[in-house]
Amino acid sequence: MDPLYLAYSYFRRRKYKECVEITTKILEKNPYDQAAWHLKTRSLTAQVYVDEVDVDEEGIAEILMDDNVIANVSRPGTSLRKPGTAQSGPSQGMRPTTQGGRPLSGFVRPGTQSGRPGTMEQAIRTPRTAHTARPVTSASGRFVRLGTASMLSTPDGPFINIARLNFAKYAARPNLAKGLFEYIFHHENDVRNALELAALATEASQFNDWWWKVALAKCYYRLGMYRDAEKQLRSVLKSDEVIDAYLHLAKVYTRLDQPLAAVEIYKQALTQFPGETTLLTGIARIHEGIDKMDDAVAFYKNVLKFDSMHVEAIACIATHHFYSDQPEVALKFYRRLLQMGVYNAELFNNLGLCCFYSQQYDMTLTCFERALSLAEDDIILGDVWFNIGHVALGICDNKLAFQCFRLALSHNNDHAEAYNNLGVLELRRNHVEAARSFFQASYVMSPHLYEPHYNFAALADQLGDLQSSFVSAKRAVDAFPNHVDSSDLLKQLKQHFSLL
Amino acid sequence: MSGGNEKWLDAYHDPVASLYTFTQCLTLSDIQADGDWKLIVADLGTGSYDMKLKVYKNTTLMSEHTIIDLPTGVVTFYMDTLEPRTPAIAVASGPYIYVYKNLRPYFKFTLPPLDIHPMEEDLWNQAKDDQVNVFSMRDMLESLRQEGCSLTVRTLRLLQLEPNNIEAFVNVHKNTPLKKQTVITCLTTMKKSVADEDAISCLVLGTESKSIYILDPEAFTVLATMDLPSVPVFISVNGLFDVDYRIVVSCRNGCVYTLKRGSKDVTKHMIELNSQPVGMERINKNIYVACMDETLHCFTSKGKKLWTVRMPASIMTLEVIDYKPRSFAGILVSLSNQEVHIYKEKFLVDVLKMDDVVTGMRFGRFGREDGTLVMSTKRGGLYVKILKRTAKFEERDMSAGPPAAQNVKLNVPRKTKLFVDQTQRERENGVSMHRTFQRDLALLRLKVMREYVKALDNSMNPISSDPMEPIKLSAHVQGIGPTFKFTVKLQNTSLTQACSNLLITFDYDDKLYDFRKKLVQVPMLVPGLTYDFETFVDCLNDKGVTENVKVYVLKPGKSVPIITGVVSMPVSESIVVV
Repeated sequence: MDPLYLAYSYFRRRKYKECVEITTKILEKNPYDQAAWHLKTRSLTAQVYVDEVDVDEEGIAEILMDDNVIANVSRPGTSLRKPGTAQSGPSQGMRPTTQGGRPLSGFVRPGTQSGRPGTMEQAIRTPRTAHTARPVTSASGRFVRLGTASMLSTPDGPFINIARLNFAKYAARPNLAKGLFEYIFHHENDVRNALELAALATEASQFNDWWWKVALAKCYYRLGMYRDAEKQLRSVLKSDEVIDAYLHLAKVYTRLDQPLAAVEIYKQALTQFPGETTLLTGIARIHEGIDKMDDAVAFYKNVLKFDSMHVEAIACIATHHFYSDQPEVALKFYRRLLQMGVYNAELFNNLGLCCFYSQQYDMTLTCFERALSLAEDDIILGDVWFNIGHVALGICDNKLAFQCFRLALSHNNDHAEAYNNLGVLELRRNHVEAARSFFQASYVMSPHLYEPHYNFAALADQLGDLQSSFVSAKRAVDAFPNHVDSSDLLKQLKQHFSLL
Repeated sequence: MSGGNEKWLDAYHDPVASLYTFTQCLTLSDIQADGDWKLIVADLGTGSYDMKLKVYKNTTLMSEHTIIDLPTGVVTFYMDTLEPRTPAIAVASGPYIYVYKNLRPYFKFTLPPLDIHPMEEDLWNQAKDDQVNVFSMRDMLESLRQEGCSLTVRTLRLLQLEPNNIEAFVNVHKNTPLKKQTVITCLTTMKKSVADEDAISCLVLGTESKSIYILDPEAFTVLATMDLPSVPVFISVNGLFDVDYRIVVSCRNGCVYTLKRGSKDVTKHMIELNSQPVGMERINKNIYVACMDETLHCFTSKGKKLWTVRMPASIMTLEVIDYKPRSFAGILVSLSNQEVHIYKEKFLVDVLKMDDVVTGMRFGRFGREDGTLVMSTKRGGLYVKILKRTAKFEERDMSAGPPAAQNVKLNVPRKTKLFVDQTQRERENGVSMHRTFQRDLALLRLKVMREYVKALDNSMNPISSDPMEPIKLSAHVQGIGPTFKFTVKLQNTSLTQACSNLLITFDYDDKLYDFRKKLVQVPMLVPGLTYDFETFVDCLNDKGVTENVKVYVLKPGKSVPIITGVVSMPVSESIVVV
């Protein structure tokens, strides 16, 4: 069989490693075989390809040294940085929040974990593990890692020596240049050279090829030059209607913290491409980011109309229903996920919880057991044990609950929620000092939770330590401004201080 | 209510007048009987010196007199029937009242001395004749003090002295007669027999010795004395001395008492407040009391509470606004948020925004203008505002009916059809569901027990379950790499038991990490406190590989660690060359 044909076949079947092997052999025989060269670049790129339009994690440097911030105090509901200003949907008391003050999402993706840390201390502290830690800058984090990974796979040096390439020559040959650009951009992660190639190629195409303008925008975006990226993308949209350009433009606006402008772009794109799920998901994500849960769910439902297998949409809708007191509906959605072939500990954990709260007791514990056996790492195990602890609390078995929370802690030492619940249990057993130290541990670990703050304040109030109670109640109100019990306690303390 | 601009004219403002005073030490009066009313201020100065009596004619300082002690009140009153009708100024300061007439010192009145405890007097008399040892005298005085007797200043000073100074002190003072004096806390006036504007008035004053004195204005003799259960701080009088009168006094114990002519029982119309009073005023039959807990109360003269208004900030002082031309009577409340609120009854009718916290206010005639408000501020400013003749204060009544919150619909999700279907299933298969659940629960309990015992055996817990070593561990990693800071926090969770002789060590892959401190000696852990132990960790690999690090707390002689913490190390950022 023709080796090049075989290589193409491998490439189509996404067996990139085999494809690279064959094309390398062909190139050893004839270094000037353009077809083989192009195929090799493409398969090397495909090995490390990450969809550029997808959300990415903002790094510490971008957050703390942001020079694109226009208004520090933005109007309510117009900024991703101050979530909770345009709240709709269930309150914080019903639906837990992340460190950034945003409700937990049903679907973990970059950017959902934490919002913006308030201080350098919070940003630098890598609270849990490697997979939730924030990269220093988005220019280094993921991309450098990918870059080094590709370096490792070719121990005898890089396939293409970029420094010796004559970009002008390649820019004039569009069939090779596009593959080469992707290789430089994704595989070598050399944004500056990619930018140079893209600039030359745009010029060579008389500024008519939208692909090169989007490529330029990608480079500008990666370099943090958002306004230049915006200019390129706007110029694309003047002549061509391309989904890619719309998506990139919305991404630029999101990064510039103009969520409403991003939504506007998505909506504009939807008039051209009705029913495009990436656009609908984009809108839903932004609504979720600015805490408009009802709108987010409406768009996710819209997504499901066009793509009934969309995992993110199903998971987010399910979470919304679970936290708005309709676990039976959530159960339906999670079951759908299970039918679609998602089979992991998180899903079984959620199924177990939904079963328990919608009173389908016979399924509950089986689901949790399966979640325990499927859990791969200690973080998940900790969360599953924590939820089993809640079931134990639900059937009033405090001893079992106590053991479950202890197990959650032994798997995940930083499980602040478990510490808080243990504190409450200890308090019921009249171990005041232990309860106090558990609450303390809990709020030191996760200052964004309001429960430990309030519990600590209430306990200190009972013990007569009014000063600590006041300080802690204030922190609880900071974490959850609408929490009635904390505000009442605070008011009571204020009255107490001014009384005779 | 926007500012006070459509109601008030800014007549004068001087933020650096360096006038430090309170409402009680401000008064407006026509002291020269020329129809031009002057502002009389007892300036408290900067604390211990520089106390002055200042008189302003319009906005210029007209005269200034030094006062020896801190003034506690200033009033003007007519003390004779001579023409022209010039009132005298009375300044209360310490145990004295200084009376000025025509801006010249005229008379100094001293409060009658109080009774001295017979034992104390006896002791000092003996000391005068050298019949008693100073040290035994000191011991006896000390025992008197401990019995709770009220003693003279001289005795109290003696009790404070070092033993070697006592003899000299006694020798210096023993020959002067022993006196016990009190301090005036509040001062006001009361017309004597006629209710005219320029009728002769008595002085009414409250003292630190918990009594009220009424003084005759001509002879300066004490006309009446009344005793109170506590020290009076604010006083308000109406009526005539010779006919009938009521004195309302708010005291330091948080009670307001009403004294009537001839009555002895002060507790009859007693008002108990929730907090200490910071101001009291009276309009007609209503008593307005401002309290430290940011509230303004209104009571009838019988002591019945009418209403309470909560203020947005602490109240500094109160003043009555009684503007006769428009027959408007209200109460001015100065707040610590630099605002002055005007209340008519319980309705807020106006807000004045000031540049500083107002500590003293007086409303009345100043110069030739009837409705003038004079204010002094905390930083020593003097502000004068004139009420416009066109000003109208409209009270806004709160609309009757249920509170607005009652009409808000709660967002309770409806029960879905799915839910109904599921309850149907529950009803039909109840028994089998229960059995399955109970079986699963038994299995789960077993599993939990096993896991728990395993965790206990390995001491894989960050909290110790050993009652002998009640400690809790938490560990954090900070930093972005390649060097991290590793913090271990230990806390003793017991109430009484201290832990000692502990060690911290780490379990890690030595190809991946290098701990600079491999073993940490733990000092004795006192119950309740959190101890931090820090070390630096270097990541030796730049390939983005991480591993868990275990922290052990060990006790010498035990093969199993007491507690263990597991920390997932973050990915180390390599050094990026851009």
